[in-house]
Amino acid sequence: MTNPTVTETARGVALRLERVRRVFENNLVVIEGMDLRIDAGEFLAVLGPSGCGKSTLLRMIARLSSPDSGRIVTEPEQFQTAFVFQDAHLLPWRTTLDNTALPLELMGLGRDERYAKARAALAQVGLEDAESRYPAQLSGGMRMRVSLARALVTEPRLLLMDEPFAALDEITRFNLEVQLRELWRRRGMTVIFVTHSISEAAFLANRAVVLARRGGKIRLDRRVDLPPERTNDLRSDPQLGQRLGHEMKLLMGAMEEE
Amino acid sequence: MAACGKTSKIRLALNWKPDPQFGGFYAAAYQKHGLDVEILPGGAGTPTVQMIGAGSAEFGIVSGDELVVARSRGEDVVALFAVFQNCPQGIMAHASRNLASIGDVLKEGTLAIQRGLPYARILEKKYGFDHVKVVPSPGGDISAFLHDENFAQQCFVMSEPLLARHAGVDVKVFPVADIGYNPYTTVLATSGAQLKSNPDGAKAMVAAVREGWRAYLDDPKPTNAHMHDLNPSMDAATFAEVAEAQKPYIETHRETTPLGSMTAERWMTLIGQLAELGDIPQAIPAQDCFRNI
Amino acid sequence: MKRILPPLIPFVVITLAVEWMVRSGTVPSYLVPAPSAVLRALFDSRDELAVAFAKTSAATLVGFVLSTVTGIAIAVLLSSSRAIQRAFYPYAVFFQTVPIIAIAPLLVIWFGYGMKTVIASAFIVSIFPVIANTLTGLLSTDPALRDLFRLYGASAGVTLVKLRFPAALPQILTGLRVASGLAVIGAIVGEFIGGQGLGSVVDVARTQQRIDKVFAAVLLASVLGLALFGLINLISALTLRRWHASEQTG
Repeated sequence: MTNPTVTETARGVALRLERVRRVFENNLVVIEGMDLRIDAGEFLAVLGPSGCGKSTLLRMIARLSSPDSGRIVTEPEQFQTAFVFQDAHLLPWRTTLDNTALPLELMGLGRDERYAKARAALAQVGLEDAESRYPAQLSGGMRMRVSLARALVTEPRLLLMDEPFAALDEITRFNLEVQLRELWRRRGMTVIFVTHSISEAAFLANRAVVLARRGGKIRLDRRVDLPPERTNDLRSDPQLGQRLGHEMKLLMGAMEEE
Repeated sequence: MAACGKTSKIRLALNWKPDPQFGGFYAAAYQKHGLDVEILPGGAGTPTVQMIGAGSAEFGIVSGDELVVARSRGEDVVALFAVFQNCPQGIMAHASRNLASIGDVLKEGTLAIQRGLPYARILEKKYGFDHVKVVPSPGGDISAFLHDENFAQQCFVMSEPLLARHAGVDVKVFPVADIGYNPYTTVLATSGAQLKSNPDGAKAMVAAVREGWRAYLDDPKPTNAHMHDLNPSMDAATFAEVAEAQKPYIETHRETTPLGSMTAERWMTLIGQLAELGDIPQAIPAQDCFRNI
Repeated sequence: MKRILPPLIPFVVITLAVEWMVRSGTVPSYLVPAPSAVLRALFDSRDELAVAFAKTSAATLVGFVLSTVTGIAIAVLLSSSRAIQRAFYPYAVFFQTVPIIAIAPLLVIWFGYGMKTVIASAFIVSIFPVIANTLTGLLSTDPALRDLFRLYGASAGVTLVKLRFPAALPQILTGLRVASGLAVIGAIVGEFIGGQGLGSVVDVARTQQRIDKVFAAVLLASVLGLALFGLINLISALTLRRWHASEQTG
């Protein structure tokens, strides 16, 4: 099932997790046999208290670590993945432009080509004027936008985000959420967005999964019943706000304490 | 003094590790003379002259020339007992080179010598160092000497040459006295202030040391054993050999003057030589340099 | 002026105090030379000291550059695998603990009397801080950034050049700052045994009881150390200026 409002051909990745199990060195079972299907082009929010295994899950999907048993099947098999961390993690000795172009540089693209793509990505997040600045000269929100541009520069089909906006102030957060949602609608990649925040999950995603406190068990898996266009009005408008509140209530009910 | 029943605490600073040149100091019966003496062994570069001046040792072993230089700088240091009546310093070279005189050593090869010493500069003045490579003295270590036939080094004539012969290398020794430079060496000295404040203690010290040297010259064995414990780098056999070989430099006028005593003429000659070298700006009174007590 | 004045004031005060103490006889001149005597010795022996200074500087610089290059290379090697690190790092610590005075005569046997021994001595004494600091820097790379590089298929070599090494630069420069002073010390010790440069001037002057000349040579050695330190600071300012907190103006 693909998102019906994407105007271009869906350019995402479909994933299937089959009985995925991950155990840490001290015999702690972080994820106990998880089954999960994610459709191409979905915006999936993963919620859960700290230590519930959501970051571990994301890293396995990114192929940065492997499950101890079970498997993760993707369709297509080869595709570009991008990862956005909680901290922007920019290289402090590089300019914004060079930071954004980094993935293309690592993939071996020539200078002119990668700078052109980087500039395009920066324009998408509204930072075209900041290209020669260094991270030390950017605000926290701007750095996160560069990190986002860097993630988008390879036109990834799978975008993984691990609590990327957690360290930002609320207004910046709201605006970045709107921007992210917009970028997703235009590009149609599969987004898996890990977060602590119920309101963020409800606002951003079209599907939300709530994990239990331990063992990676899924307590709730639900389509978010909100209009496809998500703007800040959703937060302030009384009618829309009621629907948002309803979704949040459902999610809250499934969330355990830490 | 012993009469009052009080023992004075005295530190004697040596300018090298315990070896036969200090035999008499280790053999001395200080307690008998009412002295509580602690001997501080030294090593490369121990600044005994400065230690006496600064008061970190009441007595010290110095060389005659460094005492004169110190006095010319205003330090009131006074010699009391000269172990070596004749200077046992020299240059040793491989016998296979068939060198005739000390000047020949400087014609080629390498010479390891402490350049700051007056006799080094006398040699430089007289013969020039243009044809020989001068390097710092390895201080008792003869490994470089053994490895290289053209390597000559400064030595105590009864010490390093012996070690070389033991290692199978035949050496020819050129005493520095041959060029007319013959300062008192291994000299017991103290500060003028110490002499003034405790003249009886100084007298007792010299008496004890004199007896100690007499005892060591007559029978060095027990003292050698003690020193060997303190300085295992030299083996017992070598200790005995060196103690024997150094005798002619210590005892020269057995009947006429007491062991270790000094003359004003010898000091005056030394002062003249140092003034000529430029090590001291002008001559200083010879009689201030020493006391025979 | 703002940078030079604070350290200059204590220096001037202490110099004047020592001068007064020696002149008034409070401290004997054969123990501590009056600053004026040190200056006079500097002037009188200026030719000899200039040659010595040039020799010591050359040896120090070569030894320091060698220890920088070798130290960084060793650290890169050690950082590549836990196993290699565990096996070989303790031997690197050897460079830290070996008493240079004791092995300097050995250096003479291997390298002879002259420049090579002095360079070797400077090298041995200064290499450890380079290894230790570079290794720490290379091992402290942000794991998230390492993941990022892995995600885009960067090889170990590319990750080293584009990520780990630049990230380690502040730490490396810290190591170089420490190493620069040690290189001077190592050179001087090597010169005691090897017989040239400022170390030799100190050794000979000491035998002659020319403490004023000793201090003059030591003063020049300090100037050399300061110059080298200043050079590292300049490099640090130029390379870290744009991005590291240590070089940003407060």
